[in-house]
Amino acid sequence: MTRHFTRREVLHAGATGMAGAATAWLAPATARAADAPAKKFKIALSNSYIGNKWRIEMENVFKAALEMEPFKSQVEGSWFNSGNDVSKQSQQISNLIAQRVDAIVVNAASPTALNGILGQATSRGILVVSFDNVVTAPTALKVNTDQLEFGRKLAEWLAKKINGTGNIIMVTGVAGTTVDLDRNKGADAVWAKYPGIKVVNRYTGMWDSSTAERNTAALLPSLPKIDGIWCQGGTDGVLKAFINAKRTPLPPTAGEAENGFRKFMIGYMGQKVDGISIGQPPFLSVISLELARRVLAGKYPKKDITIPFPYVTNDTVRPGETVFPQLPDSFFTDFTDGGASPMLKLCVDAALDGKACPGTLSVVLPSA
Amino acid sequence: MTESEPAAGGVLPPAVEATGLVKSFGGVRALAGADFAAAAGEVHALVGENGAGKSTLIKILGGRLRPDAGSVRFGGEAIELHGPDQAHLRGAWTVFQELTLLPWMTVAENLLLRHEPRGALGFIHRRRLSRDADAALERLGIRHIDPDALVEDIALAERQIVEIARVVIKNPDILLLDEPTSSLGEHEVAWLFDLIRGLRARGKCVVFTSHRWNEIASIADRITIFRNGADVGTYRGIEESEAVTLMTGQRLDTLFPPLPPLAAATPMLEARDLAGQGIDEVGFTLHRGEILGVGGLTGHGHRELFLTLFGAQRAGRGTIRAGGKALRLRGPRDAIRAGLGIALVPEDRKTEGLLLPMAVRDNLTLAILDRISRLGVVRAGREREMTRQIAQALQIKAPSLLHPAGGLSGGNQQKVLVGRWLLAESRILLLYDVTRGVDIATKHEIYQLMLRLVDEGRAILFYSSDAEELAHLCHRVLVMREGRIAASLARPALSAEAIVAAAVREPLVA
Amino acid sequence: MSPELAAPRRRRSLSVHIVGQNAGLLLVFAMLAAAVALYCLFYWMQQRSFPGNFELTSTVDNTMPLAMAAIGQTIVVLTRGLDLSVGGIIDLTNALAAVHMQDSLGSMLGWTVLVLLAGAALGFLNGLLVGVGRLQPIVVTLATLSIFQGLAIRVLPQPGGAIPPGYTALLVNMNQPWALLYLVLCAGLWLAFRRSAIGVAIIAVGNDEAAARANGINVVRSRVIAYTLSGVFAAAAGLFLAATATAGDATSGNGFTLSSIVAVVLGGVNLFGGRGSAIGAMAGGFVTTMIVNILFFSRIDPLYQSFYEGLFLIIAVVVGGGIGRMLRRRR
Repeated sequence: MTRHFTRREVLHAGATGMAGAATAWLAPATARAADAPAKKFKIALSNSYIGNKWRIEMENVFKAALEMEPFKSQVEGSWFNSGNDVSKQSQQISNLIAQRVDAIVVNAASPTALNGILGQATSRGILVVSFDNVVTAPTALKVNTDQLEFGRKLAEWLAKKINGTGNIIMVTGVAGTTVDLDRNKGADAVWAKYPGIKVVNRYTGMWDSSTAERNTAALLPSLPKIDGIWCQGGTDGVLKAFINAKRTPLPPTAGEAENGFRKFMIGYMGQKVDGISIGQPPFLSVISLELARRVLAGKYPKKDITIPFPYVTNDTVRPGETVFPQLPDSFFTDFTDGGASPMLKLCVDAALDGKACPGTLSVVLPSA
Repeated sequence: MTESEPAAGGVLPPAVEATGLVKSFGGVRALAGADFAAAAGEVHALVGENGAGKSTLIKILGGRLRPDAGSVRFGGEAIELHGPDQAHLRGAWTVFQELTLLPWMTVAENLLLRHEPRGALGFIHRRRLSRDADAALERLGIRHIDPDALVEDIALAERQIVEIARVVIKNPDILLLDEPTSSLGEHEVAWLFDLIRGLRARGKCVVFTSHRWNEIASIADRITIFRNGADVGTYRGIEESEAVTLMTGQRLDTLFPPLPPLAAATPMLEARDLAGQGIDEVGFTLHRGEILGVGGLTGHGHRELFLTLFGAQRAGRGTIRAGGKALRLRGPRDAIRAGLGIALVPEDRKTEGLLLPMAVRDNLTLAILDRISRLGVVRAGREREMTRQIAQALQIKAPSLLHPAGGLSGGNQQKVLVGRWLLAESRILLLYDVTRGVDIATKHEIYQLMLRLVDEGRAILFYSSDAEELAHLCHRVLVMREGRIAASLARPALSAEAIVAAAVREPLVA
Repeated sequence: MSPELAAPRRRRSLSVHIVGQNAGLLLVFAMLAAAVALYCLFYWMQQRSFPGNFELTSTVDNTMPLAMAAIGQTIVVLTRGLDLSVGGIIDLTNALAAVHMQDSLGSMLGWTVLVLLAGAALGFLNGLLVGVGRLQPIVVTLATLSIFQGLAIRVLPQPGGAIPPGYTALLVNMNQPWALLYLVLCAGLWLAFRRSAIGVAIIAVGNDEAAARANGINVVRSRVIAYTLSGVFAAAAGLFLAATATAGDATSGNGFTLSSIVAVVLGGVNLFGGRGSAIGAMAGGFVTTMIVNILFFSRIDPLYQSFYEGLFLIIAVVVGGGIGRMLRRRR
């Protein structure tokens, strides 16, 4: 998924992440081999784009997990970014094959463009686990959320909130991606059930707060009164555009897991919004890592995993847990599972700096 | 003697003939009903001031421009030319004033462009291309130009020779040359004229334009004079003074205004033991009110000297003082801002000084924008007033000061550059071959301007490729050879002959 | 009567000239050799062995699309233009191939030709707008980039489709570096192009448009052909990309707009037109892949990758220009 943030934030987060990572990287190979009682699994993360905060958090929690038990003693991890350049990512995966890693965890630049090289990896006995922007290669395991469900859940909440009648806008994501299509499809199925709901405009926010704000600001003057907002990403930007256009109070909003949006849910910039906030959890990388570890150890079958979305509403949003008033609006608050029966628990430091959290990390996978 | 000769007359029709040509660019009329005819076996010169329509006529005859009205005939046959190729088919080839060589291709590729020797599969045969070009140059007596060198890497005069050679090897029946000698030295001009005489002897027709009267007189059989886009008449053996009168429509007293003697010797610019790329052991003193000439053959370090003094080229050794203060020049900015202000007016106005698409006014105020702005915003009224005054003082001929500088004639472009430095209050002016390719009347104006500038207390260092000009216009002349000052000539020993003699003396033994 | 210029004969051997005038090309190959050596060194330090057939094959296969796009980009850059639409053409042709190509020889050959023709048509459109319409190449191709990307999404709204395995084996055999043959073929095509009338015309236009026109060269036609050829090679890149991926993605070509320009610059092609070789640009493409490999095995943090890529680029341009001038200097 593609969310853009300011350069500085990216660099800051990247630099702090690197510091934590350097020790893992530079530890001499011989020492590692001598210390480990058994052979460690070599598991590498091949990520495409790293230019937004979600990806950085995703990578940070992956690095944090590697520093925590049981991964610390069982896994020799590494991570690579290629940008949205399929040839480069393909080349990096070739190099991982050459390195003879045991598993490759991949967030792909393209769902299909890596199929050739990933097929080669599996044919050489390497386990491939893809997550977030998953690949279509049949041999790769897939860890993801249900994007149809994302769209549906947001839409259902919104439809109930406005009692099935009113004007709404849909702020969509990056066209041409499966995620965008599925989310819209899930929402459209809900609207079909409510003839009183009128989608007065549907435009892209590119999963980016500033783009969403710009596009919303440009369109708002031509729009009638809006009773509800359905937004795939960049939700805080959409709300800011409403405030700037003096379209207050803010209508009920179903949106992503940006910290800025959740701040509006607890009261921000003099406004409080009724909302539901769902996000693509950055810890998908950790779930994938755990899946790879267990499959390699022969403790879990080779099967795809779909995890439920953690979500919060005005009733469940809690400062310090699922919203962070002192952190930037662009921070993704769903780095840890805030649900009733969490799959895993991570601390803020893991998401911000890639630092290990205290204690061991236990990841609950769906029962096999 | 001055028979005004109409085109018709002989048994044979003229080799090339134009009748009633009209051509306008935008609102400017370049040709207004011009007639012209040249016969086979003659060398026909076209003279006139810049903007008189000579180049436009040649471009139309060469097929590069299409006239708005009028007709062109080759050998009596009326032809409508849609491009150079059709002129080539009629045996008419042109050496245009602006070079048309392709800089990043080799001399050989340029010489034989679109006529390359082909190999078996129809592809260009590189080695044969190089060999054929070598042989072609050899036949024309050109040995110092390497056919495999890139055009970008050879000197300007050499490029001009290649440009000429490229056309001559096509065996033209009609050879049109627009200002072919402007960047050539004396040797090369002699070579070209030999070539032209050879063509004449073989019954070809050669038409050329030039601003150098002695060249015209030495080779042209007939001369057609142009003024304001039309022909004034065609003459045989006309005197220069008479021609100038016809060209300008007014009598010129003398070309060179009298030079007042130098009063007190106050040094303004001093160079001591200056050395760097292309120059060595250069030392001189330029005084207040002085025009100090720099002469010699092309490529002997003049250009480098001027660039060094202007800070555009680093000096490896030596000192430069202006008004008694030693300068450290890291770039032109330092030179422009040095106490007395050093300014360079280069030969190649297009690439080295003027911003051609910008208005004359903007070009004039470029160096003083900070002085005429308040808080970064140019004060329009002040700018208008200052530029109007300077344009008037320099007699810059432009439709308006908002006209793009590129639309001005060469001489007027030079004046704009001079104007810029006058506005910048530069006291030391480095004029580098500023009269090259400038017509006689404008030259005269530039000479007078130079005298006025030094009379007002400035000093001028003046390089010219024209020894005659140096001899008449300068208090003293430094003759450069191989990057050094070979001679320093002062009146009364100063003459064009003395300058040339000093320039060509046997190479110095190191 | 034979005129004579009394000047000493100055002549250098053709080989000296060739070295001086192709400094950019030589430099990119030197760079490539150095990069390969460095890659082998880091590889050995980590793996205690040297790269073998798999590494060679995957490197070649992964670089083929870029090499193709770089050839097309070179031709346009030679005219002093820039083709930003290559990414869009790759998207669209990649999508077309993935959607339509069936597992039969006829379908494979037929769609190869059709896709290349589609690329030619898209490039031709660019050429018309730039050449006949006299519009700025950057503006035109930036606009057509979006248009082509939009069309690509229409053709293949979701990543998918399939490339027959036989086609993959034909273009990029995943076990042997057969794709090298296509590189050799392209190098041969380039040398022929450079010695053809249209090749000379295109280079002449990039040298100096006015001078080319004065020499009777049809400037408009040269431009149109240059952009058309760029479209054809972008389409070839789209085919290679589809073949390596074994499926289509209507956005996977986007990165090639910039990376083809990077390859062209690394390859010593002058962005101001008139100078350069497609062979150099292809080598430039391989240099970028080798940089990825070197950074991978040298354990430099991945976040610094673009920093090093930029550094390599600047060094290449600065050193390339300097060495070229030095070798050619005669006075």
